[in-house]
Amino acid sequence: MSFQQRINLITGKGGVGRTIVSVAAARSLAQAQRRVLLVETGQPEEGFSPLAKYFGRRTLSDQPVSVLPGIDACQLWANTGHELFARTVIPAGPLVSAAMRSKPLQRFMRAAPSFYELGILYHFLHLLQLQDKKLQPLYDAVVVDMPATGHTLALATLPDAALRVVPRGPVATAMRRGQSFIYDPLQTAAWVVTVPEPLPVSEAIELVDGLKRTNVPLGGVILNRFLDDPFTDDERAAAHQLLLAAPMRGRFAFERIVMAGESERRLVEATHLPLIKLREVTAQSGDACEGLAAQLTALSSKAALA
Amino acid sequence: MSHSIADLVRSRRVLVCCGAGGVGKTTLAASLALSAARLGLRVLAITVDPSKRLAEALGVSAHQMEPVALSAVRLAAVGVKPPGALSAWMLDPQLVCDQVVRAVTKDPESQERLRRNRLYQNVSTLVAGMHEYTAVEALHGFVRDDRYDLVVLDTPPSRDAIRFLDTPSRANAFLDPRIFSFFLPDKGSVFHRAGTAVINKILDLGVGKESRVELQDFLSLFQVILAHLSRNQEEMQKFFASEQVAFLLVTSPAQAAVDEAEHFEARTRELGVRIGGYVLNQSLASSAQLPFPEKAVPPDAGSVTRSAVAKLQTLAQLENHSVQRDATLALTLREHFNGQVPLWVMPRFTREQTALDALTRLSDLLLLVPFGSTP
Repeated sequence: MSFQQRINLITGKGGVGRTIVSVAAARSLAQAQRRVLLVETGQPEEGFSPLAKYFGRRTLSDQPVSVLPGIDACQLWANTGHELFARTVIPAGPLVSAAMRSKPLQRFMRAAPSFYELGILYHFLHLLQLQDKKLQPLYDAVVVDMPATGHTLALATLPDAALRVVPRGPVATAMRRGQSFIYDPLQTAAWVVTVPEPLPVSEAIELVDGLKRTNVPLGGVILNRFLDDPFTDDERAAAHQLLLAAPMRGRFAFERIVMAGESERRLVEATHLPLIKLREVTAQSGDACEGLAAQLTALSSKAALA
Repeated sequence: MSHSIADLVRSRRVLVCCGAGGVGKTTLAASLALSAARLGLRVLAITVDPSKRLAEALGVSAHQMEPVALSAVRLAAVGVKPPGALSAWMLDPQLVCDQVVRAVTKDPESQERLRRNRLYQNVSTLVAGMHEYTAVEALHGFVRDDRYDLVVLDTPPSRDAIRFLDTPSRANAFLDPRIFSFFLPDKGSVFHRAGTAVINKILDLGVGKESRVELQDFLSLFQVILAHLSRNQEEMQKFFASEQVAFLLVTSPAQAAVDEAEHFEARTRELGVRIGGYVLNQSLASSAQLPFPEKAVPPDAGSVTRSAVAKLQTLAQLENHSVQRDATLALTLREHFNGQVPLWVMPRFTREQTALDALTRLSDLLLLVPFGSTP
């Protein structure tokens, strides 16, 4: 059921564990002998990388580096995309390369409408098309930790949006190639990560609805930090009565379990998409990321058997 | 240094709430505004990305030009008495831009051309940081409005808690007129024009001449708007550094709260702005005073209740790890600030019936909790 496609866009609002789920997905794919590329968006001068810390690093650059056996990771940089693009359309010449390196143009590229996203996307397309010595794709599984908030939709829908604004020329050609990758349900799946609480579930449903209005194929919803319900219906009712009578320890854990059940029902009803439940891995039970990866691996081998 | 919410809200004109996503910042900002209104101030809450429930509770929606005042009946229900009043407004970047266009471009033909431009129509999604620039722009207008004693600003969501602090300086870099003079035709020296010609050539090759011209058209018209925004951002940068403004950092125990606090301290010092305090939100520390379920079983409990209690006890033991962690974190933060900066530790709530109830309960605690203590 999970991660059959080559390109997996991991989306979700801040605070739901999108990054750790992305890393766990990459680890699970690498265990399945896939050659994995794990990426996030970044900026060269920012030096800020949420992914890096999962591999004992401070930063990542625009060039893929091996971070674990079977996993390469890098950041998508708009500048890099612009440069790669310019090199393909512009005949090399000292004046042109000087212009490309000029501060005003670089700043302009960053500030001008959608140039930032265009650069990011172009860099991404370039990485997708890297080949090994046998001319096979260098990476047969790609996991993208998508930026939070509105940028997720902006990036995923960029090829369409860019073609509306720029209908002709090499940028348009590149965007059409982007469409052929990103909007192909055989190649790409977008996953919405959320946690079992009312507000994040509402936001996930909104994000799914937003994505459904685009051409981006949806893989499903990943319900992170899920909790199993150990209570029978009678026990649950009794526990509820006790907690109403007097506050006591364990009330938040109980409430979270009730919310987990409600969240699952709401998500299934509202999205009609496959739902992956990832059980909460507490700090006491070891490396949280490894625990999530093991769950994903178990889920996909179960799916393979079925 | 203000050590209570009452001191804080009475001594400032603007409170800016910073924090990463998922820490309950939006709700906390709204309850801070409510607290100030309960203390008799006329307050405006500017909210950026409220949940549907909170938006409904405050009566705001997108595409509203003017703040919405909560009715006297609703205010009375949440403990606000005149002269205290609470209005709310939801940021709509495109709307703010349109307002600026009307205010600064006098000639109706340019206004119309800009409105028809495809790039302008998508300016709030296309231009990075438009949420932040327009939030500052809107604030610039509201602080001059004498209907409000205090403005509480919730900042746009970002993974970096203090991104908003950099807005005026980032805006200035973006709004740097040199970028545009280099790009726009017929300006500057011969050397500049040669550079412009090369850039035009690059863009023509990349996006086609038609799109390049539209882009230039957008930029030449939008330049006036940018110049206006830029002027106000500079003014606001000075205002942000004045005693009238305080920044609050909202964190949760799930975040790296101590690191974030240190980062926040360093950035505020660099920018010369004032810290109003820290809020450690959604803390379980106060649960430490509650009994374990085993101790609280009714003596006449039946078998179902007994097995429910046994399972609750297991949950309570698991939860205990978080309770201990949060208690330690509160202590660490208190030692870190050493009485120099207010720290409010807010408990996690069980679910509320309405968003307004949640705000009221949070506000109750904000008003009662003395500086540095755990409720």
